[in-house]
Formats: sequence, structure tokens, C-alpha cells
Amino acid sequence: MPSSLPNYLLTNRKRLALSQEEVAFLLGATGENKGVKVCRDERFAREPSLRMALTYEAIYGKPARELFAGIYEEIEREVAARAKILLHRKDREPDAESARKRQMLADLSGRQSGESANRSSS
Amino acid sequence: MNQTDFRILAIAPSTRGFGFVVIEGERDLIAWGGRVARGDKNAQSLAKVEKLMGLYRPSVVVLQDAAGKDSRRALRIKTLNQQIIAAAGKRKVKVALLTGKQLRTLLLGNAAGTKQEMAETVAKCFPERLASRPPRKRRPWMNEDGRMDVFDAAALAVAFRVRKRGWRASGTRTTSGPAVGASATT
Repeated sequence: MPSSLPNYLLTNRKRLALSQEEVAFLLGATGENKGVKVCRDERFAREPSLRMALTYEAIYGKPARELFAGIYEEIEREVAARAKILLHRKDREPDAESARKRQMLADLSGRQSGESANRSSS
Repeated sequence: MNQTDFRILAIAPSTRGFGFVVIEGERDLIAWGGRVARGDKNAQSLAKVEKLMGLYRPSVVVLQDAAGKDSRRALRIKTLNQQIIAAAGKRKVKVALLTGKQLRTLLLGNAAGTKQEMAETVAKCFPERLASRPPRKRRPWMNEDGRMDVFDAAALAVAFRVRKRGWRASGTRTTSGPAVGASATT
């Protein structure tokens, strides 16, 4: 069943009544068919670079994690899964520093499910 | 499934092609537009609808019930509706059908409302997105505005939401019972 879309660039562009060509210009793209790059991003045909993602954030005035909600959720899930593995590895180390680390990893591994629960309750 | 992830794809076929809207979560209109089909209109429309289903991965597809006994839609549209339902079934996407009467009652609180009134009500639901471009009022000698397809699709999506969640078409949510449109709100 569907989770968030990979990105919400089209929604935000339409909200501001900008054309793909105009957004491409703001992104600093050059050439005759510069709108094509924006089109590809909007149709999830490619993942934009970090620089591009931050430029979108500057244009639309929304954080990149909201603009690229689907990609962010996917990354968050992957990090949570890795944090669980790391937490399991650090379980046997008794010192204070490891305890702090374990706490952080537990938070990280639990964050994804917690956020999903928050969203469904709101 | 949480509400943020609940996505509705509403499709309103017409003589030109079809209009569509995608609503996600509570009431976030994330995509809308019209698609024109020429030549074999059904084949083209179906291909475009399938593309939209692939792109937006909807939880439910909302269509007008063209097979109802009161429906006066063209045979081509009825066939297209069946094809869209089959395509949604293949992707295991649920399909919701609303009759014209249900649509008007849910949106306007009046089964005899007009498309123009529905379009105006829907525009109020999405002031940031749709209010700036409502279709012009059609005179008897005029063709229907091209934008009406999008507003028809938006009306389907909003009516489906009203039925499911108790939205009020004027913008606030009702606690129980069917929502009523601007004409019936206090």
C-alpha cells in the first residue's frame, strides 16, 4: 500500500504557479530544453543531487525532507534497521559511553515507527 | 495505513479526454490536470490513466458510476469506466463509484445542483490551488469549459472524502452524517 510519494515537487511548483522552464531557470539549468530536467525530477525518473535538492528547498521554501518525503522515509527506515544491528552489537559493552551510544541507537531505531504512529494519530 | 498515506485518484472522463485529481491525507491536493485523447480515445485515455496509477500509486480510484440505471453517459464513457475499473483491479487498487445524485447530495446537499455550483464548492475547498481558475459559467450557446473536467474530478474526490470521513465541503469537518455544501452551511 502506498507510502509518501518520492517527492512533492510538482505539487509545490503548481502551488506557486511556476512553469517547469521557470523552475529550471531558478535551478540554474541552461540549454533549450531545460524544463526537461525539472520534468524528470517531478516524475520520479531520477533523484536530484544534494545541491539540486537544496536549491528546490530554497525555491519552494520547504525543508528537503518534506519535498522528498518518500525518499526521506526510505532512508529513515534503512537507518533505523542499521541502528538496530549496531545496537545489538553494542549490547554487551558496559561502560558509560556505550550506554549513551545505546540510548542514541535505541532512539534512532525507534524513531521511524514513532513518527508513523504520530502521523496516524494526528 | 495512516491517513497521510491515503491517496485518492479521482478521474472524470469527458468528450475531450479526462480530468484527474490526486488528494493525499486529510485534504492535500497534490496533483491535478486534464489529459486530452485523440483518435482512439478510450485506448489513449486508458494508457494515460494507467500511467497516473503507476506514478501516484493511489489507495483508491474514484469514478462516476456510469453503469447506474439513471446514468446518461455515452456508451464510450461507460466502456472506458469499465476498462479503468479492470485496470485498477489488476493493480489491486480499490475503486469507488459515485452516482451523479450522490455526488450532488454529498457536495451541495441538493440532488438538483448544477455542475457549476459543484465547481464553485470544490474551488472553495482548495482555495490555494483551484480557486484562482474556476470554469466560466456556461451559456446555452457555449461549449463546456475545458477546466470543468478537473473540477468534476475534484468534486468526485471531495464527495468521496465527505462520505468516508465527514468533511464539510465548505472547509470544516463534520462530526457525523453527510457533509453539506456552501448552500446549506450556516
